[in-house]
Amino acid sequence: MTDDIAYWFSYLTNGKHLTWYASFQFTIFAALAGGTLAVVFGLIGATLKNSRFFPLRLIGTTYSSIVRGVPDVLFFLFFPLAFEQAVEWLVATQVCSPEAIAVQTAAWPPCKEANWFLGTPEYLILASVSLGLVYGAFATNVIHGALRSVPHGQLEAARAYGMSAAQVLWRVHIRQMWVYALPGLSNVWMLIVKATSLLSLLQIADIVLWADRLGAPNFLPTVGLVHEDWRWRYYLVLFVFYILVTLISEKAFNAIMRRAGRGILSEAQ
Amino acid sequence: MAQSKPAGAAKWPVVAIHDLHKSFGDLEVLKGISFTAREGEVISLIGSSGSGKSTLLRCINMLEVPDQGNVAIDGEEIELRGSGKRRHIGNEDQIRRIRSELGMVFQSFNLWAHMTILENVMEAPLIVQRRARAEVEAEALAMLDKVGIGAKASNYPSQLSGGQQQRAAIARALCINPRVMLFDEPTSALDPELEVEVLRVIKLLADEGRTMVLVTHDMEFARSVSDRVIFLHQGLIEEEGTPDQVFGATKSARLRQFLNAASHA
Repeated sequence: MTDDIAYWFSYLTNGKHLTWYASFQFTIFAALAGGTLAVVFGLIGATLKNSRFFPLRLIGTTYSSIVRGVPDVLFFLFFPLAFEQAVEWLVATQVCSPEAIAVQTAAWPPCKEANWFLGTPEYLILASVSLGLVYGAFATNVIHGALRSVPHGQLEAARAYGMSAAQVLWRVHIRQMWVYALPGLSNVWMLIVKATSLLSLLQIADIVLWADRLGAPNFLPTVGLVHEDWRWRYYLVLFVFYILVTLISEKAFNAIMRRAGRGILSEAQ
Repeated sequence: MAQSKPAGAAKWPVVAIHDLHKSFGDLEVLKGISFTAREGEVISLIGSSGSGKSTLLRCINMLEVPDQGNVAIDGEEIELRGSGKRRHIGNEDQIRRIRSELGMVFQSFNLWAHMTILENVMEAPLIVQRRARAEVEAEALAMLDKVGIGAKASNYPSQLSGGQQQRAAIARALCINPRVMLFDEPTSALDPELEVEVLRVIKLLADEGRTMVLVTHDMEFARSVSDRVIFLHQGLIEEEGTPDQVFGATKSARLRQFLNAASHA
C-alpha cells in the first residue's frame, strides 16, 4: 500500500509531469491576456463603428464582420506567421547586404541577420494577440450593441453640463455600457478559454500537448514510465480543468455584474 | 465678455435669443423667434405640444443647433459654423464653458444611473468646473438639503421616487452656480401628487431671484411663478407679456382657445 502511494507520488512528480503542471501557466496567461486584448479591441472597434466619420465606421464594420467569419484555428496559424515574416522582411530591408543575401541558400529569411527566432514567450504573446484580434471582433459587436442600450437622455445630460465628448464617452457611456455588455462578453470569454487549447499549434508545449505525450503508451521507457494508452485519463484531467475555469469564471462574472450594475439593476441594490 | 454690467434700471440680458429658426426634416419647428431673459427674470414658455417650446429651450444650450439665428449668454454669442442643416457648434471650448454655467433640468430627470445622488450633484463641479472636492461636497450636501432630500445623498437614482429624482436633478443644476436655470417640462413625467414637491422647489428658486426659463404645461404654475409668459404657436411667438396680461387680458384668439383647452384638461 505505502509502496503504491510512493510509486504514484514519484510518478506524478517526475520531471515530465512537473513540466506539464507548469505549462498550465501558458494557458492561463493566454486566456487572460487574450481576454483583455479582446475587450480593448472590442472597445476600439465599437467606438469606430459609432464614429461620425464614414472611413472610421467602415474600418470598425469591416473588422467585426470579416474577422468573425474567419475560423480561429486558421487565424492562429496565419497571424503569427504573417507577423513574423513581415517583421523579418522589414528588418531585411535595413540590415541585409547583397553579399549576405547571396550567401543565403534557403528561400526565407533573405539573410541570416534578418532571421527572427521565436521562442515560447514570443509565441505566447502572438497567440494572445491572435486571440484578442479574433474575439475582439465578437466583443466589438457585443459592445456596440451595449453602447446603444445606454439611455440617450443621460448622455444628453452629460453634454448639457459641459462634459467633453471624451468625458461623456468614458464617464457615462462606457461606464454604463458594461451592464448590457457583460452577458455577451462572458460568452466571448468562454470561447477564448476554449480556444486556448489551440496553443500547441504555435509550437507552445501547452497542457494539451503534454497530456497527449504523457498519456501515450510507453512514453519514455528509459525512466520507467511504461504504461498502456492512458491518453483518455490525461484528457479527463483537462476536462476537469476547463470545467473548473468555467465555474470560477461564472462566479467572477456575477461579482463584476453586481459591481457594474449598482444603481442600474434593481436586483443589485 | 468683457463688457461691464450696467448698474441702472435696465437689467442685464443673461439670455438673448435672436431670430431662431429650426427645422426637423420638412417640419419647420421654429420660424424666427427672438426674446431676452434679463437678470433675475423668470420666463415661462407655454404652448400646445409641437409648438416648438422644448426645441427653443434646447437651443439655448445648443442641445439643438438652430438652422438660423443666434444665442448669446451673458452678452457672449455662441459661435456656430456652417448654415442650414449643416450648421454646427463652432468652438468646443466655448460651448463647454458656457454649458457649464447653464443648469438644465430635463423632463425625464436624466440623472446618471450609475452614480449616487451625491455623486450626480458633484460630477459637473468636479469634472467640468474643476473645483476643489471638499468645497463641492459641502455645497452639494447643502443643495440636497435645500431641495429636501439630504437624507438620500448616498442612494442611487433608481431608489428614489420620481419627485425625489427631479429634486435631485434640480440640486445638480444648482450646484454648478448657474447663470440661468433651464427647465424642460420638469413635472410632466410625474404623478400629480409628486408634482407639488417639485413645483414648491422651483417656486422657491424663483423667489430667490434666479434667472430661469421654464417650459411648462401647468398654466396655474406659470401664472404664479413667472415675470413674463411667452405663448408659442406653430413656431412663432403669438403673444407675450406679464402673467396678468397674458392670462387676464388675453389678446390672441389662439391663446384664448389654448387656455380654454388647458383649463378643461
